[in-house]
Amino acid sequence: MIFLKRQLPLAITFIMGIAFALQYYIPHPVSEEAITSVSKWMQIISGFALLLGVASLFHVHAVKIKRQVPGWGYSFVLYLGIFITILVGFWGKGEVKVDGAQTAFGWLYDYMMVPLQGTMFSILAFFIASAAYRAFRARSREASVLLIAAVVVMMGRVPLGQFLLPWTWDVTQWLLNVMNSAVRRAILIGVSMGSIALSLKIILGIERSYLGGGKEQ
Amino acid sequence: MKAFARRMIGIDRRIIFLLIAAATLLPLLQPFGLPIKVSPEVKAVYDHIEKLPERSVFLISFDFDPSSKPELEPQAVALLRHAFRKNLRVIGMTHWLTGTGLADGVFSTAAAEYGKVRGKDFVFLGWSPGGGALIIAMGQDLYTAFPSDYSKTPTRDMPVLEGVRNLRDVNYMISLAAGSSGIEMWYVFGKDKYRFEMAGGATGVIAPGLYPFLRSGQINGLIGGLQGAAEYETLIGRKGMAVAGMDAQSATHFVIIVLVVLCNVFYFTLRGDKGKQV
Repeated sequence: MIFLKRQLPLAITFIMGIAFALQYYIPHPVSEEAITSVSKWMQIISGFALLLGVASLFHVHAVKIKRQVPGWGYSFVLYLGIFITILVGFWGKGEVKVDGAQTAFGWLYDYMMVPLQGTMFSILAFFIASAAYRAFRARSREASVLLIAAVVVMMGRVPLGQFLLPWTWDVTQWLLNVMNSAVRRAILIGVSMGSIALSLKIILGIERSYLGGGKEQ
Repeated sequence: MKAFARRMIGIDRRIIFLLIAAATLLPLLQPFGLPIKVSPEVKAVYDHIEKLPERSVFLISFDFDPSSKPELEPQAVALLRHAFRKNLRVIGMTHWLTGTGLADGVFSTAAAEYGKVRGKDFVFLGWSPGGGALIIAMGQDLYTAFPSDYSKTPTRDMPVLEGVRNLRDVNYMISLAAGSSGIEMWYVFGKDKYRFEMAGGATGVIAPGLYPFLRSGQINGLIGGLQGAAEYETLIGRKGMAVAGMDAQSATHFVIIVLVVLCNVFYFTLRGDKGKQV
């Protein structure tokens, strides 16, 4: 069994990792055919990952309801929401509109999901304003630079700021295109180097935590 | 003075909430309509679409869900209006399952304005799982990745897709993204291999993170947040939701700046107080 649990996945990872890293540089029809097939496999596996996510969500909230942990009522609402949506979805065959008329599933999307998600996100504006008032203080030199840059960008990104202080537009453009780009690029290069290193470790079988399990790994 | 500063620094947050609510609502009721300046990164997207010949293939990926609707829907509407006005063939899709209905609604509304026909002038492919794998699949064969569109019509013989085999046949592509499944993914798995020109549209929060891609030419333009959408509406000469919302955004930014400045004034007033936490 150790072969199926350990050696086989490692061998598959090594062969597929090397093959498809090389595939990128070989535009031969056989290589193109291989990537076409494999991309289809990946799509199918992604579909299963979605199912796995839903199953995991069910499990986590079932445990909360069973143990009646604080806030278990919300888990119950989640269950209710999922079941109603699934039932309505199956009943309407997943269609949001039939002959131009909205189905119950479409109604749930337009009048439940869209406003709820919109509300969640818009509440952020209020909390950000409150947090900015309490936390955005010039406590140090670095904090002062951040504060000044933030105020300039906030002014430069809206018509009222551009009208009151026209120079903020140019300074904002410079901050975004030069300072911000330079720092972001450095972060991106660092993250990319890390990703390459991790990928190599996985392909070569050095990093094995994705196999799961405990001591026997 | 110090007592006042101490009281103000611990102000009830509900007062701040009220100020933000007023700053958002009042300009919507009584707009002051300040002019919108257009940035080079938004102009680059507009210019590229403007230069495309009629019936060119324009792919738009709605990589967002309803939580980012206020920022990204105006961008989508402005881009679709421009594309339909230019008589481009428009292909739509999404990587975000929860954004499918929203994207289809935006497509249908914009297409109806210009009398465009589904299947002939535009197609909405809908959602399919895979993220990067889906992009690779589209790059190899569009019809294997999407055998049918959102309304379950087979894609293979659609007039709008005539001559389109894969992503190499796309003339211009834009991803309107609210997160990781978006512009970076389209560049890494799509543009880099299948060699099509692309741009990005993003929420105000993630737009600054995309400037390195813009500066290096990996994307040729960037529409950032509601401001970017308002700039695009100004360029196409059809003011809509974004221009209307910019007054509210202006006022809200202004209120936050005033609050931050006041907070710092109170902070410096109290900073000399030894032993008392500010």
